[in-house]
Amino acid sequence: MEHFSLWLAAFLTLGIISFLYKDNAWYKLTEAIFVGLSAGYWFVALFWDNFYGKFWIGKDEHLYLYVGAFLGLLMLLRLIPKIGWISRWPLSFIVGATSGLWLINYFSSNIMKQVQATIMPLFSTQYGAGFNAEPATIIGNLVIVFGTFTGLVYFFFSKEHKGAFGYTAKMGIWVIMITFGASFGYTVMSRMSLFIGRIDFLLGEWLGMIL
Amino acid sequence: MSTKAKEILTLALIVVFCLVFYIRKVSGGEGIIFSPLVSWLVIAAMIISLLWVLVLTIKGRLISRRVVFVYVGIALALPLFMPFSQKIPISPEVQALYDSVKTLKPGSKVLISFDYDPPSAPELQPMAESFIRLCFERDLKVIIMGLWPQGPQQANMALEKVLSDDKMKAKNLKYGEDYVNLGFQTGNEFVIQRMGTSFESMFPTDYRGTSYDSLPLVRNVKNFSNIEYSFNLSAGFPGSVEWVQIAVDRYGVQLGLGNTAVQAPQMYTYLNAGQVTGILGGMNGGAEFESLCHYKGKATKYMLSQSFSHMIVIAFIIIGNVAYFLSGRKSALKKK
Amino acid sequence: MSFKKNTLTVTPSAFSFSLLIIIFMTAAASVVSASAVSGPAGPPEADTVEIVIASPTSPVVSDFKYDDGNSLILTWVPSIDDLPVGGKVLGYHVYRSDNGGEAKKIAELIPGSNYFKDDDLYGDTTYVYHVVARSANSRAASINTEAIQPRREWVNLNLKYLFLIALIIAASVIYFIETAKRGKKLFVRKIAGLEAVDEAIGRATEMGRSILFIPGINDMDDVQTLAAITILGRVSRVVADYDTKIRMPVARSLVMTAARETIKASYMAAGRPDAYNDDMVNYITDEQFGYVAAVDGIMVREKPATIFLLGGFFAESLILAETGNSVGAIQIAGTARPAQLPFFIAACDFTLIGEELFAASAYLSGEPKQLGSLKGQDIGKGIAMLAILLGVLLSTIAAVGDTETITEILKFITKVFTVTN
Repeated sequence: MEHFSLWLAAFLTLGIISFLYKDNAWYKLTEAIFVGLSAGYWFVALFWDNFYGKFWIGKDEHLYLYVGAFLGLLMLLRLIPKIGWISRWPLSFIVGATSGLWLINYFSSNIMKQVQATIMPLFSTQYGAGFNAEPATIIGNLVIVFGTFTGLVYFFFSKEHKGAFGYTAKMGIWVIMITFGASFGYTVMSRMSLFIGRIDFLLGEWLGMIL
Repeated sequence: MSTKAKEILTLALIVVFCLVFYIRKVSGGEGIIFSPLVSWLVIAAMIISLLWVLVLTIKGRLISRRVVFVYVGIALALPLFMPFSQKIPISPEVQALYDSVKTLKPGSKVLISFDYDPPSAPELQPMAESFIRLCFERDLKVIIMGLWPQGPQQANMALEKVLSDDKMKAKNLKYGEDYVNLGFQTGNEFVIQRMGTSFESMFPTDYRGTSYDSLPLVRNVKNFSNIEYSFNLSAGFPGSVEWVQIAVDRYGVQLGLGNTAVQAPQMYTYLNAGQVTGILGGMNGGAEFESLCHYKGKATKYMLSQSFSHMIVIAFIIIGNVAYFLSGRKSALKKK
Repeated sequence: MSFKKNTLTVTPSAFSFSLLIIIFMTAAASVVSASAVSGPAGPPEADTVEIVIASPTSPVVSDFKYDDGNSLILTWVPSIDDLPVGGKVLGYHVYRSDNGGEAKKIAELIPGSNYFKDDDLYGDTTYVYHVVARSANSRAASINTEAIQPRREWVNLNLKYLFLIALIIAASVIYFIETAKRGKKLFVRKIAGLEAVDEAIGRATEMGRSILFIPGINDMDDVQTLAAITILGRVSRVVADYDTKIRMPVARSLVMTAARETIKASYMAAGRPDAYNDDMVNYITDEQFGYVAAVDGIMVREKPATIFLLGGFFAESLILAETGNSVGAIQIAGTARPAQLPFFIAACDFTLIGEELFAASAYLSGEPKQLGSLKGQDIGKGIAMLAILLGVLLSTIAAVGDTETITEILKFITKVFTVTN
């Protein structure tokens, strides 16, 4: 059984990788298996974790679960064209509830705290200390403040990017692009790491070529 | 020979190659390690071939993208056969995370959230193993949970690996007293929010179906205020961002992060704002953490391949830009 | 909390036997509890010395502010025998008495602890605490705290500035929405990439190939998906006018239903209801890479002339963009996830960066609510920019000089943006 599972995993891995050469029947077969399997897996996982695990087990203790179940049933009314419009209610509930939760989270963590962290003395490490920061720290502080401010200017939609405002916005997009380049480099590392994992499986676990 | 025939022949050769090595493995054959001389010859061959590609590009003969794929594959695979290792300097954010764990007293409870699945395992699994190992070495109690369905399974694999170590076996760690796996709970960020009030409401039983109350480690753990430290391993949503926004900013949890390299850049804003104690970013972060823990895991093993692949990418960026600028000059000359 | 009721029926003949059992069990239990306090029971030693430790002192209980009336904070001064190295204290137990009843242990804490937050309390109950330090074979209890009832606060005043700024932004949004509804034109700067939308659809029409619209892999609760569906409305309207083929594989069933409604409405508005077909939008799978594999297959087989990648994406973004690039399609992408933007910028022809996706959605739809929201957000950005400029300037001056006024203003600005719960 172990031999079969190893060869199957290797067959499917190589099938997906064969797409790099060109689209072929091997890739199509692997893709179809993956799509079908994943759809089935998610159906089963959602049934046991959501419907059974949350609703069925907890329904006697937490009566509000019936409200959620009812809204879920309303979603299914979409299948009946004449009363399909009712499914917009639970959809609105989901959108509204998530927006409400995220409003405070994002506002607090991604706006207020970031503005607070950006307010800093540029040339000092503490108040009243004078110009005591190291050159590297000063450059770092300037980059953070400059980058944050010009980035915000770029995303200001109420004013045309002309004149001094336009130049600031242009600097902002340069900062953003440099950031994206650094992020891209990090992501290349991530993709390579995943490929290394697969190669370790193919050459190590499957073919026993590496220690 | 036609293209079809070439393809069939290549496929046949690959199948024969795989069969030969598989039979060799099953017969007890060991892994292959190049000698230093062979390794250097291979590196020299790669450099020369890249220079040849650059010459071809300058001459206007562009190579196919499949050649680039082959180079990347070779750059990732061949270092796994080489006897070299790579020096791993430690980043401040990794050191900060390690130091924050070191300040925890023996007996402190550490919550580890496994928010990833097998596709992200090459990056995050080594971090998970070394972090759990560090916790056990420092006599910290580990509480595991997951916001992704496969997270707790990844946790069990990490636990199995760590506990199979002789040093860990000698500690005689007991499930339910020294570590516990509460399993997966659906609900994304709402789970974290509810955990701020009551862990038991989200995890009435553990991964094995044992009731929360009957587990000695967690029976007195009501919510985040009973946890000394949290560590989140994240590959996307729900993950680190939600943990920072809710667990840290609302409930004051001390949080360290282990992220895939895709997600890591986004987390540095939270590190800069002091919302997290440290970040392990990608396989590199995992390797640095293994180095601090004095443990050679998979992240350290893979770093040489990582570095080689990056050099190949840099080489092709240079080659691509040479091609781009030369083609720009050509069209400018043609216009004249 | 659950309650169990036990009933016991005793007959006279069984009474004395039961009494013997009870006496025996009580004696056994006291031996067990003594050994639990002092450690595992071992062979009795004549010279076992009780380790005397000082008790923790000054236990103070106070209400945990700004909660639902279910938490109290207990602090104390640790025992003087609780030392970081060589200390005799092995931990602390926290005991609580409810409404004058028997004190019960509610928490076990590690050495060095001096703080405990008790949750899950009731506002109409009075609580008294004491803390017990324990060594290997002894215990030392503190005095009792005063009796206290947890209080509920209706408003968390720590978040007053967060509320104020949110109110200002919300008020701006409402103001601009109302202004837009009254017909006043709200200025939104030109967004590069939007002009390319019509051009891209025209290209597909001329080439006789289809348009592929990918709305990301998030569900309808994600605002990026909502923005993508709004842009889909505009795109499908042009598609209906030009009679071009559109194909939309999705990863969420809710998105499928919303997209079908949107495209159907566009076709009806264009006067072409007969040309609409439900198969234009189809569900693939929820699994991320299963979806990617299928969409890649569609791209390679059908070779669409135009690909829209708008919405929330994760690791699949580069795979999709690169495959689209390889089939020679013109690609217009947009997402608010910073991690995925570099890939779209590298592999696509036009990219809507971050908030430009939402701006595009407002720009194309011309809907007052979306335009008003965009303008309101700009007010928020203006507040942030002003705070940063002013804050950095003042803190740089305050760090170098010693000006009380500047320091006071700076403290106020910092306080406004500091969020504590």
